[in-house]
Amino acid sequence: MSHFLLMVLYALIVSVFFAILWRRDRRGQVALFLQLFLGMVLGGLAIAWLMYPFPSGPPQPIP
Amino acid sequence: MDSPEVIVVAEPDAEAAPEAPKEGAPAPAEPQGRPLLAVALAWLVPGAGHFYLGRKGRAALFMALVLIMLAVGLVLEGKLWRIVPGQPLSVLGTLGCAGLGIPYFVLRFFTGYEGNLVAQGYEYGAAFIVTGGLMNLLLVLDAWDIARGMKE
Repeated sequence: MSHFLLMVLYALIVSVFFAILWRRDRRGQVALFLQLFLGMVLGGLAIAWLMYPFPSGPPQPIP
Repeated sequence: MDSPEVIVVAEPDAEAAPEAPKEGAPAPAEPQGRPLLAVALAWLVPGAGHFYLGRKGRAALFMALVLIMLAVGLVLEGKLWRIVPGQPLSVLGTLGCAGLGIPYFVLRFFTGYEGNLVAQGYEYGAAFIVTGGLMNLLLVLDAWDIARGMKE
């Protein structure tokens, strides 16, 4: 599974969890879910884009 | 020469009637169930605390979410933290994983699961497993609040 899909899956589960935990009304839950989900996914993409110029180097052998 | 001003602070009357709740403020919820039992159930089985407190729909959702988190971590062969002498951070990781309650102890002591160090998803899976444990710890706190009447 790609890194991106894993990130989206992680963001999805965590966002649903907090939306249910922190909000009681349906409208509030949807709003919080969207804030969290988009914040995590778009934030992750933004950080990845900012890190793009930095080389990762060759993979290190596992000791 | 003017005398220094004396500021007298009136002490609240201890026998005065308690303030009436502000208009529009939510009424405090009634305590429900036994808080310690709710906390214990919430920790041991994800969602069980909410089930005990009568929030059956939310209990089912919380249980599903925590178990999906754990299942993804296991599919990825992620690390199941355990305390390593000389590595203080391993204590935090272990506490996070132990937040899963019974599933953690079953995995660790009955199946011997540790994760697969050379698997591609080792680190990702560890993040999923620890997050599942931390989510369940938040459910423990939520169950405590509901049982004490501090939350609906």
